[in-house]
Amino acid sequence: MSDFLTLQDLTLAYGGTVAVDRLNLSIRQGELIALLGPSGCGKTTTMRSIAGLLTPKSGSIRLDGRDITRLAPSRREVGLVFQSYALFPHLTVYENVAFGLRLRREADLDAKVRAGLATVGLSGFADRAPAALSGGQQQRVALARSLVMNPKVLLLDEPLSNLDARLRLEMRLELQRVQRETGVTMIFVTHDQSEALALADRIVVMRDGAIEQVGAPEEIWTAPASAFVADFVGFETILPDPETGGALAWRPAAVSLGEGPHTGTVRGVSFAGAAREYVLDTPLGVVKAETPASAPPLPPGAEVAFDLPRATAALLPAMPS
Amino acid sequence: MSPRLAAWAVLAVVLTFLIGPFVIIILAGLSAGNSLAFPPQGISLQWYLKVFTIESFQASFAMSMFLAVFGTLAALALGIPAAYGLNRYRVPGAETVRLVVSAPIIVPGIIVGLGLLRYLVIPTGLGIGAALFLAHTALILPYAVRVVSASIENLRTDIEEAAVLLGCTRVGAFRKVVLPNIRGGVLAAFILGFVTSFNQVPVSLFLSGPGVRTLPVDMIAYMEINYDPSVAALSALLAFMSVAIVFAAEKFLGFSKYV
Repeated sequence: MSDFLTLQDLTLAYGGTVAVDRLNLSIRQGELIALLGPSGCGKTTTMRSIAGLLTPKSGSIRLDGRDITRLAPSRREVGLVFQSYALFPHLTVYENVAFGLRLRREADLDAKVRAGLATVGLSGFADRAPAALSGGQQQRVALARSLVMNPKVLLLDEPLSNLDARLRLEMRLELQRVQRETGVTMIFVTHDQSEALALADRIVVMRDGAIEQVGAPEEIWTAPASAFVADFVGFETILPDPETGGALAWRPAAVSLGEGPHTGTVRGVSFAGAAREYVLDTPLGVVKAETPASAPPLPPGAEVAFDLPRATAALLPAMPS
Repeated sequence: MSPRLAAWAVLAVVLTFLIGPFVIIILAGLSAGNSLAFPPQGISLQWYLKVFTIESFQASFAMSMFLAVFGTLAALALGIPAAYGLNRYRVPGAETVRLVVSAPIIVPGIIVGLGLLRYLVIPTGLGIGAALFLAHTALILPYAVRVVSASIENLRTDIEEAAVLLGCTRVGAFRKVVLPNIRGGVLAAFILGFVTSFNQVPVSLFLSGPGVRTLPVDMIAYMEINYDPSVAALSALLAFMSVAIVFAAEKFLGFSKYV
């Protein structure tokens, strides 16, 4: 497949502060991409520049063979679902969804609005005011409002962060279904690695305005390319590797407690349902480990033997900077 | 006297001073006698009816209405964009602009009136009507900016971006998305401006000429010659008009939450 959306040497700045520095990224048509990173990493800024709400300092954005770097937002065929949904409070659900179509003087307006509402399961809510809807419903209105415009790329800013846990799962399935049905290319921004892993075809991990790693969820999960990514996806113990001069990283479950060549002192323990999580002070540094909840608990202060098997570690090029 | 009783007494005194003059004016206007007096000498509606036949009142009422309506509209035409700009953009010296815009509230009207007369009307030969219009617009502007500002501050900025992404221009987004959502504030500003302009005396006092007077100034002039109850009757009618406007505004848009 050829590249559909290409960001080339994209540099973005607010005033004098550079938020994103010479970023390069290619996305295929129909992909579901997650921009993942902590706040301030430049992921939202990147998304806003794709939408045209921020003009790049340098570099270019191409969509479907067209240079859209300096094109007005409304002419880019890019939709954006805002984190706060940004519904128009003075208009009904129907009129919110119809807003863009009216500006376009769409001939088939009513049918398209109704179809859009049906897609997100809100057919019975056309005449409500946005304020009379729940957060999840408001988000679906925002989704329909963008979808009816038939965008080439749909951007979503933290689509799940304002929802409670149950709705989050529902919305995740909903987004996957909409993507399957419409085939629209989706890019969503999130700071939550579990959301990115569950939803995306590919994850773009960002840090300090640059890309750390691009890969499929399995790849990011099992083979982080840097200490930053490793730490971000839950490799909590990172130690230098004398053999390669790089570093090794273990998830808590990959550390075997009870026997092994090393010993440490239990600093703290917390019960997490399926597992018990330990923080150990050791001559190597702080090690985080876990045991199944069924295993007998170790009290704080206890001496315990442990092993850091090389086979269960992720190999990293360097220690965290 | 118990503290509770003292509190009631203070409340009674305050209410008397707030409402008392209003009651006295209404009753004085109902007098059957020929001079302004309280308690009224007999009861009749003749002065309330006579008010409508006094020609100078008709002219000055029209003048006051014109100033209140068009002065307020002009102030809103300037004030809404100003409030929007001050809130949405990083304007250099925004605080200074806010302060200057508020000046007509702080500077005594006498000074504004005298200043306009001495340095605008006299040197340029500007008509009194035009000067009054400018003065009232300037006086209402601070209220327009403040009340509208409060509404704009409460409005999320991302709905404008959403509108732009859906095909609006920036100006279109303002018209289609911002204005409809601040209309309560705009209406509140209009009412506040209207009442402020209509009741304005010190500035208008300096800007009066042959045949060009606002109603309050005309009433003062009338009283200097005719000391009859018609001024009391007219005052009562104006007070009722203000109360009715504010009451309607409160009922239909919750006026008090904007002011």
